[in-house]
Amino acid sequence: MPRAQTNVFALVTALAIIGAAETRSASQRFYVDDPIWTDNDRALDASKVAELEDSNGFDFVNHTVVKPGERRDVRAMNVNTVDEVPDSSWFTNRIGRRDMTLEEIVRGPDRVPTISLDGWYVSGGKSTGVQPGFRMRNPAEKDAGGRDQQYQIEFDPPSNPELATGAEMIGTAFYYAFGYHTVEVYVAELDPTKIVIGKDARIQDPLIGDRRSMTRRDVDNVLRRGARLPNGRYRVLASRFAEGRPAGNFRYYGTRPDDPNDIFPHEHRRELRGARVFGAWLNHDDSRGVNSLDFLTRADGREYVKHYMFDFGSIMGSGTMFAQRHRAGNEYIFEPKPGWLTLASLGLYLRPWLHITYPRVPPAVGRFEGDAFDPLTWKPEYPNPAFDNMRADDAFWAARIVARFDDKAIRAVVEKARYSDPRSTDYITETLVKRRNKVLAAWLTACNPLVDFELDARGLLTFRNAAVLAGVTTDASSYRVSWSRFDNISGGATAIGDPIVVTSPRAQAPSAIAGAGAPEFLQVEISATHPQFKSWDTPVVVHFRRSGTAWQLVGVERR
Amino acid sequence: MIARVALVVVLVCAPAAAAAQTAETRAAELQRQRDEKQKNLTTYEPTAIERTMDLVENKIVPLLQRDGAYAKLGNITTGSGFAYGAGWRDRSLVRGLGSVNLWAAVSMKGYWAMEAQARYPLVEGGVLNLEGTGRIYEYPEEQFFGIGPDSAREDLTHYHLSGASLIGRAVFHPWAHFTTGGHVEWMQPHARPSGRRPSIGERFDPPVVPGFLAEPNYIRSGGFAEVDYRQPLNARKGGWYRFDASRYHDRNSGAFTFNSFEADVRQFASILAERRVFAVRGLVTTTNAGSGGQIPFYLLPTLGGNDTLRGFRSQRFRGPHRMLLQAEYRWEIWSAFEAALFVDAGKVAMRRADLNFKDLERDYGFGFRFNTDNGVVFRVDAAFGSRDGKHLHIVAGGIF
Repeated sequence: MPRAQTNVFALVTALAIIGAAETRSASQRFYVDDPIWTDNDRALDASKVAELEDSNGFDFVNHTVVKPGERRDVRAMNVNTVDEVPDSSWFTNRIGRRDMTLEEIVRGPDRVPTISLDGWYVSGGKSTGVQPGFRMRNPAEKDAGGRDQQYQIEFDPPSNPELATGAEMIGTAFYYAFGYHTVEVYVAELDPTKIVIGKDARIQDPLIGDRRSMTRRDVDNVLRRGARLPNGRYRVLASRFAEGRPAGNFRYYGTRPDDPNDIFPHEHRRELRGARVFGAWLNHDDSRGVNSLDFLTRADGREYVKHYMFDFGSIMGSGTMFAQRHRAGNEYIFEPKPGWLTLASLGLYLRPWLHITYPRVPPAVGRFEGDAFDPLTWKPEYPNPAFDNMRADDAFWAARIVARFDDKAIRAVVEKARYSDPRSTDYITETLVKRRNKVLAAWLTACNPLVDFELDARGLLTFRNAAVLAGVTTDASSYRVSWSRFDNISGGATAIGDPIVVTSPRAQAPSAIAGAGAPEFLQVEISATHPQFKSWDTPVVVHFRRSGTAWQLVGVERR
Repeated sequence: MIARVALVVVLVCAPAAAAAQTAETRAAELQRQRDEKQKNLTTYEPTAIERTMDLVENKIVPLLQRDGAYAKLGNITTGSGFAYGAGWRDRSLVRGLGSVNLWAAVSMKGYWAMEAQARYPLVEGGVLNLEGTGRIYEYPEEQFFGIGPDSAREDLTHYHLSGASLIGRAVFHPWAHFTTGGHVEWMQPHARPSGRRPSIGERFDPPVVPGFLAEPNYIRSGGFAEVDYRQPLNARKGGWYRFDASRYHDRNSGAFTFNSFEADVRQFASILAERRVFAVRGLVTTTNAGSGGQIPFYLLPTLGGNDTLRGFRSQRFRGPHRMLLQAEYRWEIWSAFEAALFVDAGKVAMRRADLNFKDLERDYGFGFRFNTDNGVVFRVDAAFGSRDGKHLHIVAGGIF
């Protein structure tokens, strides 16, 4: 080969290799836009999504026997690089990321403070759920399609007035503040003498579908199963229908095969894993796929699936139509071992929850307590794959959100239920406070709880301890800080000096991080020493990216 | 040379070009993954079990519970076997206080019945109701072992019972847990040999079987009182006490006129969050035909079968007087599923004076129940310890 040709060959090869290397840099650990705070999972049109509505029986059998979804000890897949959940069609950061006023927390998703059902008309039967109810439309309010806005109306059981409606009001406000999408709910009074049935009102029937017209008799059948107020009216819950087309419910595992935007397996979504913490706090034992709603929602000329948490009528001490069962929150509906033991011992084996005593409380409270409550052993009605995958970092994320509710905020939310007996408000508030404290003590300490990392231009690193901030433990006796250059391409880290030990949550970086040779990325590993919590020895790994002389936090990982 | 250079460029850059599809930003990377998924979208296909459970929950169960035409499943009478049929009902009349219910069902053993029931509230709030029931039926394989406590299992025979009845009741419900009322009933039962062998006439002479082949025409009248404070209906605590007195007037000859009195007392207590339930029942029935009168054998009180003495066959004992004592210890295994240990004891007697605790027939056993707060849906009881051997009962419905 002539020399000139050889040179050309070498040059082209070198350029190609360099080009390829540069292109491979796309697999870098941190992208230029990290950490992202919005996951645009509404970018692709999902209008072809088919309605998927699971039956209660299938959901129970599937999760109890088949146990679908992947059970794997892997970091939640939809978190951003600072270990937080970006806003998406599933979740909007609210109290976890910004301050919410008391008024905001209490208002929740509601657009108006109160509603009146005067002038509304019955528009159809209620298709799902055990709670008696029907649908009504408000002619004074139009939906996106120009029709009278539809609401679902639900009643309390006669044995426990205010039980389910109160639970719905409280649950909705809390879940909205956590960051989930929820529908608007209002407590209102319904005068049975003023009920008007719309001419197009239909009711579902197993024989003929929804072709049967609704009659006054159908309405009376519902009223008969509802608790009546002393004034002859009914206290009801009015849930405003979400905008869009119903697409059934979501599942706590897998992805919708027909939704292009749905790429993270649901059992590995942080907000679904962490929902176990919220469920434990509020005793939302009914947190399962069938109690969710998917709506095809229009935005930017496309439709995307928006995911809602729904049906909080069975939280706290409410079993919707009765006081919550003793088992609820303590054991799955079907759990082989205690069942077999109970059977074999002729009932002499006593499950621990049989010993729990519940105080005498107004019927609106149901069966709810905080003394025997153990957040670590709390269980929903049956296995939930996302809950089963919850790791300490998922729980920590959720517990930090719970920590944002002080006693005053909790009472304000409980007052939204408008219990007629102040003892109900007092008892539920006290119990939620007790349970919150247990939740924080359990999950803010289960992994290294350091947060709020900042590295200023002078190289001073500061951070805080979320468990100490929440008042659930004392500060660590010392912190060990290790500094490294971080290679964003290879993912490798090269130590800068020896680790240092400090006794307060601040540490000065080595001088090598400043000046001309300053690295683009810095990795800091911080562990804590606390006599009670061995898990704090495992360091939080934090990454900063240099931006001029400033450092931007781009990575947080709890291992 | 140019070809060689091109080859090198292609070989080196091809993988790089593929890698180049990896995005430069996180947002672009997520978008790339979504674009990728969009190329492979599929429609969700429910599995067979999913479709089946959906059908059961959304079609079949509502079909059993609905007003209007509905499916009827269960038993027709003790020993009939599993029955199925259809009905029509409306439970929403007069603001839910009135109702109409018509049904017809046939069992696996060929039993069938048709019934029409109606309830109408005379007083607001359901304090006073009028109730009416009309029924025609055929029970082709009823069992007869003879009359009295000494009947033998080896004497098993069968008879065919059919008939019709019309009953009217006034039911007064003055307080929450108390109900009383009176009833008048026209009934025309008829017993004849069964198609199943051995039939009653093959082993027993008609003279020793009162009422066999006779066709009495009855007017039954009487009253009852009932206290019911069970909680819940599938009781974990509380009690249910019922007392019923009736006069059966034979309008044809008067030869089969008789009186009957029955007391049925059930008490429930529970411990450990009501997950351990103790249930006891005492039942006494006495009849009195008066001097020279007789009681048709098929209207005599019986014991035996899935709801009385479970260690014996259905209608194993028959006599003018009976007493039954039952006790169960029920413990919940899982929600809606419990086990039970039980003991039954009882006897029939030819004389009221013999209704005592001597020579009681006994059995014991265990069972499993699928239940709700409102009742037992399905039950399996295995009984032992009787002089008639082991018995297994698989029944739709509870016992007491």
